[in-house]
Amino acid sequence: MFPTLEELQILGLSLKVALWSVLVSLPLAVAVAYSLARVNFPGKTLFDAAVHLPLVLPPVVVGYFLLLTFGRRGPVGILLEEWFGIVVMFKWTGAAIAAGVMGFPLMVRAVRLSFEAIDRKLEDAASTLGAGPLAVFATVTLPLALPGVLTGMLLSFARGLGEFGATITFVSNIPGETRTLPLAIYTYTQVPGGDESALRLSLLAVVLSLAALFVSEVMVRRATRRIMGDDADGRH
Amino acid sequence: MRLVPVVFSLLFSAVSSGANAEGMIVLAAASLKDALDEAVRTFDANTGQNTKVSYGASSALARQIERGAPADLFLSADVEWMDYLAGRKLIRTETRVDLLTNRLVLISPAASNVTMQIAPGFPLAAALGNGRLAMADPDYVPAGKYGRAALQSMGVWTSVSTKIAPSEDVRAALRLVARGETPLGIVYRTDALAERKVRIVAEFPATSHPLIVYPAAVTAVSKSAAASRLLDFLRSPAARAIWIRHGFGRAN
Repeated sequence: MFPTLEELQILGLSLKVALWSVLVSLPLAVAVAYSLARVNFPGKTLFDAAVHLPLVLPPVVVGYFLLLTFGRRGPVGILLEEWFGIVVMFKWTGAAIAAGVMGFPLMVRAVRLSFEAIDRKLEDAASTLGAGPLAVFATVTLPLALPGVLTGMLLSFARGLGEFGATITFVSNIPGETRTLPLAIYTYTQVPGGDESALRLSLLAVVLSLAALFVSEVMVRRATRRIMGDDADGRH
Repeated sequence: MRLVPVVFSLLFSAVSSGANAEGMIVLAAASLKDALDEAVRTFDANTGQNTKVSYGASSALARQIERGAPADLFLSADVEWMDYLAGRKLIRTETRVDLLTNRLVLISPAASNVTMQIAPGFPLAAALGNGRLAMADPDYVPAGKYGRAALQSMGVWTSVSTKIAPSEDVRAALRLVARGETPLGIVYRTDALAERKVRIVAEFPATSHPLIVYPAAVTAVSKSAAASRLLDFLRSPAARAIWIRHGFGRAN
């Protein structure tokens, strides 16, 4: 019942893809969340809708758009290859892009909510004490938003681990490169006698998801306690 | 509140079309798409049937039938998956026939000017360079299994096995080449003929892989009398004209 080496490699690849997708999209998601929570600008509603698009579109559609954009003949794909020699087609980096795009709205939502929940007076206090806008953001706003940021990272990570439709449409199903956990499970269900492997990987996915939920719960609790100080413990 | 009746009628229509679904359901290998669509249109027009065809990798379709998909007719792209179902008593073996044959070709995007002769040890890996070879997944999709067999018999499989882009069915491989995402691909001759954005570079020798046969059979769960009539039609001269026009061969 223990996973085989091949199955462990699939797991490793999935974790790599999901982690990179989270790390790369995090700064962008924080910036977008901040602008949505704090800044008013023309076309904000449209921008908000665009950010949420991957959440409501069929994943296959997202994958198809990614293929048209980042493919060898897509506008961005051509530029990436000409300027930096980077090709994401059929590469794990492409899978990470798909995972990142699909998880982006989830991350933005969580971060935005915690930005909105912050007591603006704390930031004002920091300003009156002489902190510049950047310092306020780095030392007051962001730390206060930490629980939301962590939740957003987890949601996006979990979404990335589970990503199937956009990935298989965009970067295909290449063993060792883009065959992540869900794609491997799908592949095993197609092969006669593959049920055992499919089941093992499915159980692995369950364990992984539970572990991610648990870790994030602990981290969010700790962060909340640090922010609230004694209040969180009920003492005054 | 005017929405409520609309939603209700939607729900109702979905239910009713499911309940009196008299049209039969055909599960067919992805490579049959264009030709079978045409044949089924003719059949439906002549008989008043409402046939629905679902295309996919024969492997996926066989697994769907195994799990109880309410299909009436199965058209597989290889013998193995049909045998798989026959072994589980999921098809009516007395209805099983070998319907068609096909050939395997090496293709490139239409704009590419690559030329190559398929012979033992031919320089496929070199022609790919940093690109990949689009083909159906050689682990389970028929077109991929034939492709691997052909490359193995040419002695080049080991040099390209790490360079393939396996896809969930043969049409997905065709799309990758048509869009120029891979410089080369392996598909059925009929696929290549159906897509103007690809060019046939060379045809694999018929002896380089097992004979490509499309067996068809009525499923064990089928309650539609029209299923065997459609199967008969698919073997008739009228249907044969369609098959031949799309590049299929006749199985005997």
